[in-house]
Amino acid sequence: MIIVPATTGQMGVLPGHVPTIAELKPGVMTVHEGTDVSKYFVSSGFAFIHANSVADVIAVEAVPVDHLDSNLVQKGLAEFTQKLGSASTDLEKAEAQIGVDVYSAMNSALTG
Amino acid sequence: MASSGAAGPFWRAAGMTYVSYSNKCASMVRSCLKEPHRTEALEREKVHFSISKWVDGKPEKPSIREGTGGD
Repeated sequence: MIIVPATTGQMGVLPGHVPTIAELKPGVMTVHEGTDVSKYFVSSGFAFIHANSVADVIAVEAVPVDHLDSNLVQKGLAEFTQKLGSASTDLEKAEAQIGVDVYSAMNSALTG
Repeated sequence: MASSGAAGPFWRAAGMTYVSYSNKCASMVRSCLKEPHRTEALEREKVHFSISKWVDGKPEKPSIREGTGGD
């Protein structure tokens, strides 16, 4: 079973799942193989669940959660939170918001 | 589930494309990696390509562009 961070919320996928295409948000993908659990942080992307119970998860970056450095994550979160406060154009606000979303998600992945 | 004529995600409303959004997210994740994974990942951001403009059906002299990603 896998759990993917869809934009509509955490989505659990078991064999026999209805064919679905889900857009992913930055977050943790959990893979359960028997009793083994692996967690990967996915930067964004899509999950395709096919009718034959094969699921493809496409992401530009997917890293094991323990490859993330929590100091860098917290520094980045503080930096983007500050940028969000001082942003003026729509584009600056959007970039700062993306930063806050991505770094908060990495932070939750490390502390959760 | 789909709404008609909605603004969609905030980055789309600000004029960004999905590809730009996705690449920015990936870049942020790469910058938070521990070594040696970080150096390996930053290699993936590098771009190196040749580009030439076409005028009157003929290509002009190509120029090489390279760098660490971005737009």
